[in-house]
Amino acid sequence: MRKILMFAAGLTVLTLSVSAEAAVVRYMSQHPLPRKMGGGFCYIDVPHVHDFGPSDPRMYRQVDGEYYFVGDPSPFNYEGPRHAFYGPHPIVEANVQFGHPEYCYLRGPHYHWYEPPAQAAFELRGGAYWFTGTYDQGYYQERPRYVAVNDAYAPIVYDRPAVDVTVAPPGFHGEIVAAGPGWRGRAVVGAPPPPVVQVGVGINVGGPSGAVFVEHDNGRHRGWDRHERHEGWERNERGGWRGPPPAPGGGWRGNGAPGRGSGWRANPAPQQGAWRGNPAPQPGGGWRGSPAPQQGGGWRAGGGKAGHGNAWKR
Amino acid sequence: MHRFRAFLVLAASAALVQGACGKSKPAGGGPAAPAHVEGTPHTDAVLDAWKSAGLKPESFAPLVPPPYVAGYCERGVVAGVDATVCEYADDGALDRGQRQIKDEWARTGVHTGVVLRAKRTLLSAVDHELRDPNGKTINQLILAFRKL
Repeated sequence: MRKILMFAAGLTVLTLSVSAEAAVVRYMSQHPLPRKMGGGFCYIDVPHVHDFGPSDPRMYRQVDGEYYFVGDPSPFNYEGPRHAFYGPHPIVEANVQFGHPEYCYLRGPHYHWYEPPAQAAFELRGGAYWFTGTYDQGYYQERPRYVAVNDAYAPIVYDRPAVDVTVAPPGFHGEIVAAGPGWRGRAVVGAPPPPVVQVGVGINVGGPSGAVFVEHDNGRHRGWDRHERHEGWERNERGGWRGPPPAPGGGWRGNGAPGRGSGWRANPAPQQGAWRGNPAPQPGGGWRGSPAPQQGGGWRAGGGKAGHGNAWKR
Repeated sequence: MHRFRAFLVLAASAALVQGACGKSKPAGGGPAAPAHVEGTPHTDAVLDAWKSAGLKPESFAPLVPPPYVAGYCERGVVAGVDATVCEYADDGALDRGQRQIKDEWARTGVHTGVVLRAKRTLLSAVDHELRDPNGKTINQLILAFRKL
């Protein structure tokens, strides 16, 4: 009996000592507040702690145990300064040092609370900052992991900045998408509504040196578009793909999701190509897939619209 | 005689320093109130900066003895946020003090906590009771503090 009591007492002490460590979650700067905390935004722009974790870790980068919010603050009742960006770019917040380049992988137009410093390789055109420098190897290596930030934003409907994509700087290496899931209003101006169903006119040959233009068909989306060489891929009516996978370095370009009610119909992904996982269409649209990072590969465009001659047959 | 004069000068100087700091020995024979630390922003300057920024610091009082290995500390409240301002004589002590504060948060828990330095003055702002849910007050405290 005495032994049992001593064991119970020991267990209690152990339990208490374990639970004595309170939850402390470190944040590097400003961030959205989880819904359970009332939602909204935390405006503390220096390292600080909370007793709650981030609501969606896909919108964060963890550096030395601290969470840094890499997303667009707009949908979270954010009231501070906003600067428009287009496509992926290095994170250039002046008072935040990561020790190595970290990238924002958000597609299309989006906002951040910082603007690039004068010496950084950005061009302000068409209402947004475009990164015109060279992505380092880390960008491609980390992209499969961090591109999920787009999935996190897919169900969130909010106003994206209006950006004239027709004046995209030639040095921009990313993809240009004219619409995406959750983009309210006419997020991208300057891109005339595509007269045809065909989407994803883009070029991708040779190396990371220009933009890939991907248009959207205003909800009548027929699936994914393939750029570059065409090696006999066919999409059948049942949503399957036939033919060999694209060559390594080939560029599949996922573009914006269809409008509500429509859905993606191109499902299975080529295994070796740049296709990235495509779950079933979600109501309300959902971002689907993205080009995979290619070691040493990447974007190689001539920019602008390419003729199309091509890629897939219906 | 010379020695006596020197003693008088020293005593007078000590009295002046004590008076200039505005802190007297607490009644009842308790420990002497600590003096401000020179060479770093004083707590008074921090409170003035907050007032200039439109904030209303309330019930700030010296902590005796000063916690967190500080030379001088005051604690009070600003719009529901607990704020502690401490002055340090050297960086090593400040680092230790900062570590102690963070350890304390890890032990006891804190809804929101920030610790920040300006020169050798440390600000610790804590929201225990969700009085500043979006951190705007804390951010104002920080903005003014950083300008010191």
